Amino acid sequence: MRSTSTIASLSPLPDERLAFRSLANVRWGLLVAALLLSLIGLATVHSASLELQVDYLPRQSVRLAIALVACAIALSVDYQLLTKFALPIYLTSLVLLVVVLFAGRQAGGARSWLEIGAAQLQPSDFAKLATTLMLARYLANVNRRYLGVRQILAAGGLTAAPMVLVALEPDLGGAAMFVPILGVMLLVCGVRWRFVLGAAIAVLLVGTGLWFFVMMDYQRQRVQTYFSPESEPLGAGYQLRQSKIAVGSGQLDGRGYLQGTQSQLRFLPARHTDFIFAVLAEEWGFLGVATVLVLYAAFFLNGIKVAMRGRDRAGILLVMGLMAGIGFHVLYNTAMVVGLVPITGIPLPFLSYGGSFTVANFVATGMILGVDFRRYVNR
Amino acid sequence: MEVREHREELLKRIPALRISFLTLLVAIGAAYWFVQVIRGEYYRELAENNRLRRIPVQPIRGLIFDREGRLLVDNVPSYNLRIDRSRSADVDRSLRFAAETLERPLEELAAQLDRQASAPVFTPVLLAESLSLSQVARFSTAALEHPEFEIDVGHLRLYRHGPMTAHLLGYLGEVTEQDLREGKGDYRPGDLRGKRGIERAFDGELQGERGQRQVIVDSRGRVRDDFATHPARPGRNLRLELDLELQQVAARYLGERVGAAVALDPRDGAVLVMASSPTYNPNLFARRLDRSEWQRLVEAPHDPLQNRVIQNTFAPGSVYKVVVAVAGLMDRAVSPSETVYCGGATRIYNRRFRCWYRAGHGRVNLREAIKRSCDVYFYYLGQKLGITRIAHYSRLFGLGRETGLDLGGERAGLVPDLEWSLGVRGSTWYPGETISVAIGQGPLLVTPLQVATMMAVVANGGHLVTPRVLASSPPAPPRETGLDPEALAFVDEALWAVVNEAGTGAAAKVPGFDIAGKTGTAQVFEQKTWLDNEDLPFEKRDHAWFAAYGPGDDPTLVVVVLVQHGGEGSRQAAPLARMIYEKYFDDRQPVAPS
Repeated sequence: MRSTSTIASLSPLPDERLAFRSLANVRWGLLVAALLLSLIGLATVHSASLELQVDYLPRQSVRLAIALVACAIALSVDYQLLTKFALPIYLTSLVLLVVVLFAGRQAGGARSWLEIGAAQLQPSDFAKLATTLMLARYLANVNRRYLGVRQILAAGGLTAAPMVLVALEPDLGGAAMFVPILGVMLLVCGVRWRFVLGAAIAVLLVGTGLWFFVMMDYQRQRVQTYFSPESEPLGAGYQLRQSKIAVGSGQLDGRGYLQGTQSQLRFLPARHTDFIFAVLAEEWGFLGVATVLVLYAAFFLNGIKVAMRGRDRAGILLVMGLMAGIGFHVLYNTAMVVGLVPITGIPLPFLSYGGSFTVANFVATGMILGVDFRRYVNR
Repeated sequence: MEVREHREELLKRIPALRISFLTLLVAIGAAYWFVQVIRGEYYRELAENNRLRRIPVQPIRGLIFDREGRLLVDNVPSYNLRIDRSRSADVDRSLRFAAETLERPLEELAAQLDRQASAPVFTPVLLAESLSLSQVARFSTAALEHPEFEIDVGHLRLYRHGPMTAHLLGYLGEVTEQDLREGKGDYRPGDLRGKRGIERAFDGELQGERGQRQVIVDSRGRVRDDFATHPARPGRNLRLELDLELQQVAARYLGERVGAAVALDPRDGAVLVMASSPTYNPNLFARRLDRSEWQRLVEAPHDPLQNRVIQNTFAPGSVYKVVVAVAGLMDRAVSPSETVYCGGATRIYNRRFRCWYRAGHGRVNLREAIKRSCDVYFYYLGQKLGITRIAHYSRLFGLGRETGLDLGGERAGLVPDLEWSLGVRGSTWYPGETISVAIGQGPLLVTPLQVATMMAVVANGGHLVTPRVLASSPPAPPRETGLDPEALAFVDEALWAVVNEAGTGAAAKVPGFDIAGKTGTAQVFEQKTWLDNEDLPFEKRDHAWFAAYGPGDDPTLVVVVLVQHGGEGSRQAAPLARMIYEKYFDDRQPVAPS
């Protein structure tokens, strides 16, 4: 540390030198893991779309390139500047979520896409980033050991606004993804146990109340199928079954690239998006699965390292919130593909085919690296 | 600097989150390990089930030839209509479309589908056979609207000589639920199996072995590729001992008559003719005849489905005198020179027994009695022998049990004796019955085939052959009967006289060839008054028998003809025997008369 400051003081252009040296100290492992996962994703998207009319590989490559540019931009923009403008960014994302409800393109029963020229954009992906930014800004300024009721309610309200809008699309899975972001950020800030317990009891009471007094029979039915897809052998039950067959038949070393019968003979639905991990599991076996899980672990350990050496509350909270968003996607999607949790439309970061989702994940990666990069700059 | 303080607070909580995340990730990894490595084999099998579909490949059924290699049963290509119910939006609508296009009743198709209801829904099941080309075209045109229909080329049995060989060859029919339950053979719903005759007896050989095509299908069931093919093994071709030309002679003669004809080689039991009348057209069965056609056949007079050569039993009438004569000679109950006076009738056990020849034969010895078929002579001989000895010799001639014909489905007939009378019939044996049995009447019952093997014993000098229709099976060695060759030779000579010395079988005489034989007239109805048979109603007329063998000392063909309600054997049955011999000798070296 001492030598660092010496060089800095001797340098004619101290800021630039500092910046250069700082870049060398950034946790590049985070980006390397993300890039490796994305390359595996490209190969798997190619395999998964082989039987479709178009090969999605070129499209996804272009999107990855755009995402990398966005990543670089996110890295270069000072996160403190971003937090300063958190409110307008947050409000813009809310406006987009409102617009998509009226002007969005209907796909798969939900209005979740905005068409801007040739580009398509899913505002909920950016709303997640904006909300994380907004929460980071708000919670950074709460200067207490533990959060009080007011702060918790305020943070909850900030999260609830985009959540409700996404749920109205209706994209319940997407809406649910806001919860872990809020949860992790609150936990990092410090929440008393009684609040955690209270929240758990409240969820239980509200859930029971809804079940018995508010929900209609058909809605209960839907919840039931959600938790036991076997009762719906042609819908979610079929997906689950085919996904498990794909995963299981991969065995230890897989059926070989482009050789997965479940994927190539179209037994597996949504195989280039939500179920891309099943394609990978089928063709590369447990060895492929383990490799990818290790890469995710590497991504997160690097991310957490960044959080641990963050210089301010805003930075730490921002990193943890972004990590929570991506991390929960990873956990839920991989658990869903192997049948541990109910099926819902949640893609796998870096691997699944998707434009704004990929860009959003790389912007998040860029922002995390940016926090790391600026730990010397912003003092 | 307050901010710094609380920054440290934040950092304290992060490791717990890191541990939680890594724990969950490891747990998910463990789930993958379980599904992929521990349960992998199970899911691999499910994946194979998903993509592989087995399509049975029907084997081609074996052809059937006669002894000269003339084709009797052929396979002809036929277009079959199958339906894949899983691809039909509305099965009822599909059926209506098919019924309209085929111009067949909807109920018939629905019933056909019903029978195969147990087949998996994505397995195409047979709906109709032998579509015309225009019908095939119509289904092809409608393929977009009705993707559930498939046309494939199957084979239909063609019995080239139709009714003439119907009873011997039999026919095919759809396997019954019972066949499937019992698991006999490798059958599936909708398959055909032999129902009668050769088709049934040798179903296993003719059927061959089903093959299998394994194909790779996608999630929509479309065939993508062949995976493996296990070709079907065609059924074995069969060569029969049947002589088609002789069979045709017999079948044509029997024509409108009711009766049966059988010819066999007395040396090895090879069956050259097996004809039964009335008959039916087996080609109707090849096309899955509908209920009304079947009903008509079942209700037709004289049961055309019966093979009278083996499945019906009759009183043998005077043909049976062969057995009684040999018995008499061997038991020394009679000597060839002994004579009996026939006055047209006699009185035994206080009952009057008539000779068929009202005028009476006068004094006759055994040779004359056989030649002119004198009943009175045999009444006395029967009385001397008694039923027990007659039954004993009858069994030596192979009567009273199945001959062991490889075709199967035979009746055993009946040789009555005291035990039978008490044990089966439940009444005492009347001595008068013995007198009736002595001339082949009474409870005695035989099949035409049994008469043929019986005559073969005389023809081959004492061996009981096992008749067979299949040429490829090695003949079973004839059984020794232990009958006295001298007695047999005596009867043989007498039988020659029947045909060649203006005896009752003179109508069977073939110029230039030595034929021996015996007529028989089996009473169906016990007449109180004497009426000429032509004046009796058809059902009450006598059965006419003629049983012969030839040529000469080394006979190669036994012919037995039965014309039911044909009156006297000499008039109705003997001419067919002659015609068969004429045809038989046509292609063979004439034997100089001895």
